[in-house]
Amino acid sequence: MRNKFLLLTLLIIISIVGNISAQSSFKKQVDSLFVIASSGELKYRDLIKPTIEELAELGKDIVPILVDKLDTKSARERLTIINIFKKIGSDAVPYLITSLKNPNGLIVQRVCWAIGDIKDSSAVDALIGVTSHTRWQVRDQAVGALGDIADNKADDAVLCALHDSIGQVRKAAVVSVGKMRIIESVSQLIHLLGDDFYGARMSAAEALLKLDSNYVAESLADSLKSTNTFVRSLGCFILGEIATDYAVDILHRTFLNSTGDLKLHTSLALINADPNDLCGYQNLIVNADFDKFSMLKIKSAISAVQDADNSLK
Amino acid sequence: MNMKIIIAILFCLAPFSISAQEDEKPEQFGLNHLTEYLSLKQSDISFRSDYTEPDLFRLKVIADLMNQPLEMISYVDNLKSSFVKKQPGLVASYLFQDLQKANQTYREKAYFADISEIQRNYNLYYTDITLNQLLTRAAVYLDVVFPRSIDKSLALLSKDEKKFLTNQFKELLVQRVDDEFLSVEAMDSLDKIEEVYIEEFVAFGNKIDKDPIIDAGISSVKELMLEINSLRQLLKSKVISSEKILNDAVYLPKNANLDAYLGRQSGWKIGGTGNDYYSGDYKFILDFGGDDVYDLSYDPENPHGVIIIDLSGNDTYRSQTDFTLGSGCLSVGLLFDFEGNDRYDAKSFSIGSGFFGMGMLYDVSGDDRYDGDTHIQGAGSFGLGLLIDEDGRDMYNAALYSQGFGFIEGLGSIFDIKGADSYYAGGKYKDILRYDEHYLSLSQGFGYGLRPYASGGIGAIVDMQGNDSYYSDIFAQAASYWWSLGVIYDSSGNDSYNCFQYGQGCGTHMTLGVLIDDYGNDVYFGKGLMQGVGHDYSCGLLLDRHGNDTYTAYDLSQGAGSANGAGLLIDNEGDDRYFIKNKKNTQGYGNPRRDFGSIGLFIDLSGTDQYYGNGKDNFYWKTKSKWGGGMDIETIKKDSSEVKNEK
Repeated sequence: MRNKFLLLTLLIIISIVGNISAQSSFKKQVDSLFVIASSGELKYRDLIKPTIEELAELGKDIVPILVDKLDTKSARERLTIINIFKKIGSDAVPYLITSLKNPNGLIVQRVCWAIGDIKDSSAVDALIGVTSHTRWQVRDQAVGALGDIADNKADDAVLCALHDSIGQVRKAAVVSVGKMRIIESVSQLIHLLGDDFYGARMSAAEALLKLDSNYVAESLADSLKSTNTFVRSLGCFILGEIATDYAVDILHRTFLNSTGDLKLHTSLALINADPNDLCGYQNLIVNADFDKFSMLKIKSAISAVQDADNSLK
Repeated sequence: MNMKIIIAILFCLAPFSISAQEDEKPEQFGLNHLTEYLSLKQSDISFRSDYTEPDLFRLKVIADLMNQPLEMISYVDNLKSSFVKKQPGLVASYLFQDLQKANQTYREKAYFADISEIQRNYNLYYTDITLNQLLTRAAVYLDVVFPRSIDKSLALLSKDEKKFLTNQFKELLVQRVDDEFLSVEAMDSLDKIEEVYIEEFVAFGNKIDKDPIIDAGISSVKELMLEINSLRQLLKSKVISSEKILNDAVYLPKNANLDAYLGRQSGWKIGGTGNDYYSGDYKFILDFGGDDVYDLSYDPENPHGVIIIDLSGNDTYRSQTDFTLGSGCLSVGLLFDFEGNDRYDAKSFSIGSGFFGMGMLYDVSGDDRYDGDTHIQGAGSFGLGLLIDEDGRDMYNAALYSQGFGFIEGLGSIFDIKGADSYYAGGKYKDILRYDEHYLSLSQGFGYGLRPYASGGIGAIVDMQGNDSYYSDIFAQAASYWWSLGVIYDSSGNDSYNCFQYGQGCGTHMTLGVLIDDYGNDVYFGKGLMQGVGHDYSCGLLLDRHGNDTYTAYDLSQGAGSANGAGLLIDNEGDDRYFIKNKKNTQGYGNPRRDFGSIGLFIDLSGTDQYYGNGKDNFYWKTKSKWGGGMDIETIKKDSSEVKNEK
């Protein structure tokens, strides 16, 4: 009986030691491959891609090892890890979700990034959970990842992030509402055309172009008289890009009833909306009263649309 | 009644308002005008300090400029104005201000010495009062102020930590030509060792206070210049000859202890007007003239101050070790050469190198040649490295981290005031990360930090006159890497800038680069990431104010922003030519990285200009990018450089 007990104990110890040894050997293998995969030397560039493939083939077992490395100070190592996670795909997601609770905010923000690249909707709830993280970089990456996954379960969290105090987070939210086609965001996006941070401002214009064009044009009509110069200029730009009859009509009416910069913005938008001048706006515009620089802008815009047309021919 | 008063006040203020508008610099007008056209504003070019964890080595001026990168233009204008001829101490003082750290509220001074601390140690050997004043002043600094100031600077460091500075830390700046032949494992192992060094350094580096030793160096320059000028005036007046000064000495008794006599101590040498030869590790040399040869060495294990004063002659200065020829290593090293066509043949950490200290080489006149390897010709690491050449047609030749180079808490600068000069940096250490046949330069107005551990410093070249040529390869010419600043200001002359990649107003990875050329018909040539480019939350700016200039590049250049960076090319006047190979990412291009894009601005404000690329003469354009564009307009009637030439 006593011998049996000793034998059993010995077997358990051998098994544990063997397991630890196997784990250690596996980690060594991963570490060794990772050195090559993240090497930046020119002469080893041919080895990088196959080594990344080899690591990705090791599957979910390497995820914890790589997450531990995610706080690396090397940009090359960081990108390599994200790339490997992306190649592993959904198998990596369960452990990555667990890692969103990591106390190291740097790791959490990079895990968000990886999840966004994998685009696995099973991570949405966990990502929503970190959209109010104290570290803005985590909020930025989490909101961005939700946009990449584009599951409308996250609409409220993303809309809420449009009001974040940090410009980068607002930008991430703006991009995400565009990707998620959240129509409820239109009025806020128009407001963000005047955002102090160009990332949010310009991305808002792009996001609006992804949403229902009639609704956006209708919403923009009243905003062209905004006191914010960017709302006026980008509003006109968006209408010019939409270029539906309704949008062009708004621009035309505004052109006729405006002066100064708004007249110039509507002119440029009209030229863009009607590049072949089917409605004859160009003659109307070049005969309007503009200063020399505004007129040069108008002539440049006409020349640019003509060049683009010629290059198509 | 009240309304009348208001109208009267407004009427009185109107001329001032108009005058303010007229005072707006052309580049400011251009920036306002183009950003408005692109639905941007100047303050959009701004970078947060917390994209990554801020470190404790960040310089205040760089932190401020990252917040408002377009202020680089004013920064450079002030920098060039800081120079006053024949007063090297003034520019050193100005540069010292820029070495304030972002989190620093108080700056420690040098050790203050009473002259009695010296007088009680020495007997006078020479009888001339002017000479004795100079020697006394030098002795005060060499024997008391420099050693006690470096003690203050490194007071919080252990013995091992002090040793680390001249060993492991130095290794971070030393490259080897045979690195290209190493295996991937060996290379990785070297990288890991370097990483360990960096982490070890970062753990204690913040305990270093470079200010006392640099302040000591600056004070010594100011005070020594007064004494040297008095001596030179005396000699010039011919009241007394240098021979007489040197011969009028006290009688020394047999077996006298020479170390007790001022000017005769060990490590001190005073030479006459003949051709003299100096060899060894000196503390002080004063040479009255002749074509002299200096073979100098320095032992960083036994740091000390070095003051070399050569009043005239065509001299040859040679390094036998690193840390010579106006090199301050854990101390202050000064070299003053007042006349002659001189040759400076150095190893590394030389010719105006401040390495945990201050180094200055001040050459007043003559056609000079400067050669060396790494961290030379105006290079600073936890220190101030300054090379001032006031006149002559000079040649600068270096391999790496040189010619206006600033590393962590360092500022390195060349001020070349007159003469057609040529600058070459590179050709020795291969850029094994990117190319088989290109070499790292990391020089010519280059700031460098250790990403992401420690912010870098400021590297600058200020060249005031002459047709100058700048040649380099990878990373150079008003460029920087990681929370640093690289500057070239060239005032006049038809200059030629040639660099392969990352240069000519280029910032890569949260950093700043600015090249301003005021006058002359200049040529800018390079391959990529050139001529006003900012990559990864960085800003690169190239501003050429006058002249008929030619710009050539392949890609990601001429007003290009990449990975949320901002790149600006501004040319105020002249009939210019712009050539690029890849229209997709040049001449007003913003790369879309991280969804929100970058900013690329191309501005030409006058002249009949020729383009191969996105631009056209008299034209506004927006590129299909996020976000970029350009304009070529007429705002200025006459090119003032032409007016100047017509005279």
